Amino acid sequence: MKGQHALVQLAIVAGALAAWETASRLGAVNPQLLPPFSTVAVHAAGLLTDPSFLKHLWVTVSEVLLACIIVAPIGVGLGLLLKENEYLGAAFRPFFYFLASVPKSVFLPIFILIFGIGFSQKVAFGVFQAIFVLVIATIAAASSVPAELIRVARANGATNWQLYREVYWPAMLPLILEGARLGVIFNITGVVFAEMYVSRAGVGSKISEWGQSFNIPDLFAGIILVALLSIVVNETLRWYEYRVGRWRV
Amino acid sequence: MTKLNPMAQGATDMPDVAVEALTHVYESASGPVEALQNIDFVVPAQRFVGVVGPSGCGKSSLLLMLAGLQRPSGGRILIRGKPLTKPEPEEIGVVFQEASLLPWKTALENIEFPLKLRGVGKAERRQRAEALLEMVGLRGFGDRLPHELSGGMRQRVSIARGFSQDPKVLLMDEPFAALDEQTRLTMGDELLRIWGQRQKTVIFVTHSLTEAVYLCDEVLVMSRRPGRIIDRIDIPLERPRTYEMMATETFGRLRERIWRSIRKD
Repeated sequence: MKGQHALVQLAIVAGALAAWETASRLGAVNPQLLPPFSTVAVHAAGLLTDPSFLKHLWVTVSEVLLACIIVAPIGVGLGLLLKENEYLGAAFRPFFYFLASVPKSVFLPIFILIFGIGFSQKVAFGVFQAIFVLVIATIAAASSVPAELIRVARANGATNWQLYREVYWPAMLPLILEGARLGVIFNITGVVFAEMYVSRAGVGSKISEWGQSFNIPDLFAGIILVALLSIVVNETLRWYEYRVGRWRV
Repeated sequence: MTKLNPMAQGATDMPDVAVEALTHVYESASGPVEALQNIDFVVPAQRFVGVVGPSGCGKSSLLLMLAGLQRPSGGRILIRGKPLTKPEPEEIGVVFQEASLLPWKTALENIEFPLKLRGVGKAERRQRAEALLEMVGLRGFGDRLPHELSGGMRQRVSIARGFSQDPKVLLMDEPFAALDEQTRLTMGDELLRIWGQRQKTVIFVTHSLTEAVYLCDEVLVMSRRPGRIIDRIDIPLERPRTYEMMATETFGRLRERIWRSIRKD
């Protein structure tokens, strides 16, 4: 059954690409606006061997990675603090829920005023994009730890550290990872968006440049590469999430 | 362990558990609530004592205190003469209600868990856990996660976990409450078999009167809140207990007596 689904899915992708290719080749759509898939694929391959593009790609990847490294401990730490400390939690939790609902992109100009338009601004904006969902996921994760399990550990003489390591952490991990996965997606969105808005480096700046200079094949190639990259990251995290959460039924 | 120390033999008169004037009052939104009132009882070594009472009578509070998880407002608990102030897993093992297994650990890892918390080495705790798994009749199921086991099997794992530190006293908090009737009967027999082998002192909280009579040497009846001990009933049925005993007149009379105590309250 599973193999059958994969086959159908493969057929859908192949069909869509074939439709794209023929529509463009036969002139059913303006090939200036939608070049054939084969042309886009060749451009994508070309970009991946072009050192100057790889440099831009690396800038984007390192911005995203650094933002992840910064946001992970802060987001999880803040989430735990807001859950465990009743006073702080009651005082500050609502702000997180409110801010989470505001579109973060409107704050981008402020980040430019504070950080300029370089590397640190992209990282900071990526962190800002990701932190809310991670904090909220961590709060939810910490609230989900069953009281019976805490009692069992305590009754068996667990220290605070053991309680955290043996009960809290494994119980929370799948939910935190779910938040982290969304966080990474928001993070990538933030970084690429900030690059597109104003920047001298990064995939986002190239995509924006290609769009403005009407370099459509490269534009499509860039979009496809960013899409593939995000999908790979997302699926990898999802696989890990599944692996550590297999006990959840 | 006591065999190593002949002097300790002299201490057999001392009860394993002594509860003295235990009182508990907690604060609620509508003022202080008296949960337990002047609870007194002793449990001699290797005795199987049941605690029954209406729901909300403070049975669970009492159990949390016996496990060292909650401090009473007054009175004290002595474990073989020593006041209990915090969890003492080497002295008291606890078998909780259903769903207290760590769902991400296998059956074997769950049994090992208390040993791991006390820093017992990997090889030793695996060996001890394997033996306990066998004791509860789950050989070959060690690698299963809790959700891959039936309710009865999960409770077997819980019991094995309660034995893992080889405590003198075993507290059991309605361990079979979530099981169906048949499994419940089987598990009762299993528990008695293991208890016969391992010589433990058991305090067994239940709301099933049949279970209380069938398993216990003595049954303590608690009143509605504030929880007090309103009756103590010796169960003179001989051991080993058998299913047929349930149909006897004595069994019925004992069950009736507990029921009357609860209802009178």
